[in-house]
Amino acid sequence: MIHEGFPSAPDTRQALTLAQLNARVARQLTVPSLQSVWVTAELSDLRVSGGHCYMELIDKNPATGAVNARMRGIIWAGSYGRLSARFLADTGQRLATGIKVMVCGTVNFHPSFGMSFVISDINPSFTMGEIERRRREILMRLRSEGVLELNRSLPWPDPTLRIAVISARGAAGYGDFINQLFNTPSHLRFSVRLFPALLQGERTSASVIAALDAIAAESHQWDCVVIIRGGGATSDLVAFDDYDLANNVAQFPLPVIVGIGHERDVTVLDFVAAMRVKTPTAAAQWLISKGEEALEQLQFMGSEILRAAADTMAGARTRLAYFDGLLPLAPSTALERAASRLHRASAAVGAVGPACIAPARERLNGRLRMIETAASAAIERQLTRLRSASALADVLSPMATLRRGYTITRIDGHAVKSVASLSEGTRIETVLPDGTVYSEIIRK
Amino acid sequence: MNDNKFTPVNELTYNQAVTELESILRHMQSDSCDIDRLTILTRRAAELITECRSRLTATDEELKTILASLQE
Repeated sequence: MIHEGFPSAPDTRQALTLAQLNARVARQLTVPSLQSVWVTAELSDLRVSGGHCYMELIDKNPATGAVNARMRGIIWAGSYGRLSARFLADTGQRLATGIKVMVCGTVNFHPSFGMSFVISDINPSFTMGEIERRRREILMRLRSEGVLELNRSLPWPDPTLRIAVISARGAAGYGDFINQLFNTPSHLRFSVRLFPALLQGERTSASVIAALDAIAAESHQWDCVVIIRGGGATSDLVAFDDYDLANNVAQFPLPVIVGIGHERDVTVLDFVAAMRVKTPTAAAQWLISKGEEALEQLQFMGSEILRAAADTMAGARTRLAYFDGLLPLAPSTALERAASRLHRASAAVGAVGPACIAPARERLNGRLRMIETAASAAIERQLTRLRSASALADVLSPMATLRRGYTITRIDGHAVKSVASLSEGTRIETVLPDGTVYSEIIRK
Repeated sequence: MNDNKFTPVNELTYNQAVTELESILRHMQSDSCDIDRLTILTRRAAELITECRSRLTATDEELKTILASLQE
């Protein structure tokens, strides 16, 4: 290359066409290290067109959520059918925006479409692990916030008949639910209203939360909430592994029944809702069996009350009959009872007598001995006194005086104490110790 | 349970009705149940059961109406 004079403008002949540049890039990219490599990424803006599946593969900063890296991804129609079917079978969900995948592919640079990652294989177990990890994270967060068990510990209203349903309008699952609910032999009086919401795709969470808010605004009109989604296998569950939705359900003031599940898999919602069933039909069946239980309880109480009434009547009748039979016998029975009471009493007295008498007798004997002793002592004392008294009497007696030479003169038995009472001729008697003599006064 | 002082059944909640039924049953099963009150209690129980049952169930006609309104 020759430069003349001043640096001149680049030679237009030397410029590459864009196609040439792209071809160069494409050649540069055709290296083993960019072919059949396994890559982990999150799916975004996924869409299927003409049988081919287009998406953005992104890498997010876990802290900020900002996109760190981005590349277009393509699954050509030739492999999409097979890969997506296997992915769904293994993970229980479709390839969809928001899920994390581990894909095998080759970096391809198309002259007119630019760079893209052409995917040839997917590892479903990576996604399952990711879903599981995310689910655990949400559950742990709900638990640490103390709301995980709230909805599950709500009491079920009795009866549970007024049902607010969150479902997609016109969904097969909703129809199944209604048909099941209103075609029972027990004729349960359910009342139902649909609160329509989207139950797949990215807007599921926000849409279901909006429906929950609408129900909460009139929560006194409802006994419970049923969230159901049409049956069929083509259901992605990732939309339900959402913190905001789970938090709303966990804190909802009415019990929530969730019937969005997949046969094998469960979502976070299944852990927080008061009741989890597999299908809309199962949700209806559960409500029906609850209503029928209430009916059976009524039936049971009715028959128990009848039986109690019959028992009480029968008992009263038996008692009457008993008195009836007893009445004629009552007088003689009473007599017999009195007689036997007497008999028993006398027997008792007989038995009691000796036992009581012996000590009493003993006591009496003791007293007797004391009395005897006391009496003889008293007599002795009296005798002694008597003896001294008679000695004194001896001394004082007239006989003793007479024996000393004195006499007693008496007239008509009266002692003469003065000569004045005597006159001549008076007859007197004179008492001597050994006899009495009679004389006449001769002179005075 | 005062004689003739029962709350009209339509003023009771379902729960209150069932609770009253249970207490009637307990009373009737106890020894203290008075023969004179038996009829009153049994009649009250039947009334409560009928009310509860009618709240739980609907006639064919009613069900058809409900279904029709849901499918609008």
